[in-house]
Amino acid sequence: MADLIQKKLQGELEKYQQLQKDLSKSMAARQKLEAQLTENNIVKEELGLLDATNTVYKLIGPVLVKQDMDEAKATVSKRLDYIAGEIRRYELQMQESEKKAEQQREVLARLQQEYQRAQGKGVAKA
Amino acid sequence: YFHDAGFHPKIKYRLNLSSLAPLGPDRCSREFAKPREVNAECQWVENDYEALQERLNTLPDKLSYDIMVPFGPLAFMPGKLVHTNEVTVLLGDNWFSRCSAKQAMGLVEHRKKHVRKALEDLQKVMKNFESRIEFTEDLQKMSDAAGDIVDIREEAENDGTETKGKRRTAHKPHSKPKVSDVFEVHFQENGMDTKFKGYSQSEEELWARLEELERREEMLGEFDRTPDTIEANGEDTTSSEEEKEDKTDLNVVHGVEDSATQDNVQKEVTNSELFSGQVNGRSHYHSDDEDDLGVDHFVPTIFFSHTVEPKRVRINTGKNTTLKFSEKKEEAKRKRKNNNGNGHLVPELPNIKTPADIYRVFVDVVNGEYVPRKSILKSRSRENSVCSDTSESSAAEFEDRRGVLRSISYDEATYSDNSEGILEEEEEEGQEHLPKKLSTLSGTFEAFSGTVIEKEPLSPLIPHPSIAHPVLPTIPERKSEEVLSEASEETTKRISKFKAARMQQTN
Repeated sequence: MADLIQKKLQGELEKYQQLQKDLSKSMAARQKLEAQLTENNIVKEELGLLDATNTVYKLIGPVLVKQDMDEAKATVSKRLDYIAGEIRRYELQMQESEKKAEQQREVLARLQQEYQRAQGKGVAKA
Repeated sequence: YFHDAGFHPKIKYRLNLSSLAPLGPDRCSREFAKPREVNAECQWVENDYEALQERLNTLPDKLSYDIMVPFGPLAFMPGKLVHTNEVTVLLGDNWFSRCSAKQAMGLVEHRKKHVRKALEDLQKVMKNFESRIEFTEDLQKMSDAAGDIVDIREEAENDGTETKGKRRTAHKPHSKPKVSDVFEVHFQENGMDTKFKGYSQSEEELWARLEELERREEMLGEFDRTPDTIEANGEDTTSSEEEKEDKTDLNVVHGVEDSATQDNVQKEVTNSELFSGQVNGRSHYHSDDEDDLGVDHFVPTIFFSHTVEPKRVRINTGKNTTLKFSEKKEEAKRKRKNNNGNGHLVPELPNIKTPADIYRVFVDVVNGEYVPRKSILKSRSRENSVCSDTSESSAAEFEDRRGVLRSISYDEATYSDNSEGILEEEEEEGQEHLPKKLSTLSGTFEAFSGTVIEKEPLSPLIPHPSIAHPVLPTIPERKSEEVLSEASEETTKRISKFKAARMQQTN
């Protein structure tokens, strides 16, 4: 009886660990996105500081490609929105993972209790 | 001629990671290092930008410069730096722009602003950390300095008494005594100097203890507050916490060396820290508050006790009239003369055997009708609330209240119908029941006072408090003495008819 519970416990524990890993992955991704967000914000501001006479280049691989100022501004804005959307998505993901982790924790706690009870019974019997 | 104005995205990334989450002091030094690192890096970045600005300033001075151009990692070659005014700036995220030196300067300035802001944030974080560390150190110092600590002990009393006292003081929202109660309860647990002294200097343990105390305090805070308010415990604790924070200011000024930053810190700091931080200031704080609570202060050990101080109450007789006690007394006397056949007061108490009984017993009388009380612990300020008992609670008073209520409130006919059956039943039970009930009731009500007076139950007056059940609103918080006498008077009055009937029977 106790062994069975123990095996179950192990299984649940692994699941929980997996959930935790997912959570941390989402967290890392989200932080990366946040960094990009700030960066793009700065780019946007700096583009605003410049005027049309300056040429804007985009680095694509080893090549600096000339871009139109307005185009560049639009692109940066779009990228900003995209990043914001991604962040929101990751947030949701994190929340779900958190909820699942919470549930898993409860399951684990229950199993642990059962296990201990089983242990206790076993000791009593023996 | 390619001049790259570097961008330091890394710094930003790290800044996002610098967390302001509260950390235990054991990790404080470690965590402190992180923002310190970032701080150092920010500084470095800013210096970089300054150098860059310098270069940008001087660069357009000449049309071309003779320089040694690096040729691979190991060689240089003489060359010329031309187009000195044209700069290609990395804007970030693989975007470049060609601009003049002056424009580049503008961009660099703009970036410096960002870096400076980050630096400021970091400074704030560091300051918080510092103050927290300082606080912890002070706490330890204080705990070691036994003399400063005021050991406040509260003898564990019954819930009822505590509740009662609290309820009274809690009529004024967030009154000091309430705060101090929580405070002191906390210290009752915390008040063992030895524990602090015995502690190793490690911050870790200290913080663990603080957190544990905080938890305990929260639990106690919960416990204390249930009778008083319907608020969530969290709200209460926060509100009292705020209160305490206010008071902490005083105490901070008094005892602790901490600067005003502590105020800021407190917001982030846990309850227990707050409490602990006020150790040496407590005596000041509590001198005001200990009026109703009977504490001797300004001694190394403060004994804190709750006393139920009975007060005179106005009683709502159900007709929206309030009689004062004196009047009641007279009434009681009158009634007693009328009703009491044997001149004894049987110490009958409402027989509460099941939880349902409680609710039957503690029933409000609202304008002659019985309204089940929302909470048996709530005081009925306007009703016949003996929420605060009178010190001179003679049996008469309560009886009177009862009597008055009874006479006004319930229909004697119905009552008699109800109770008749019970009466007969109880008659059979005999006297043995009485003492038992008495004792149980004393047990129930003992919480409210220190004295339990048991009176001899009278044989003819077997009718038990259970009679009271269907209709009688009994006043919950009372000294058992009063309860007993009251109950007796109840029965006396209530069963006046029956008594007479039975008397006839027995006779």
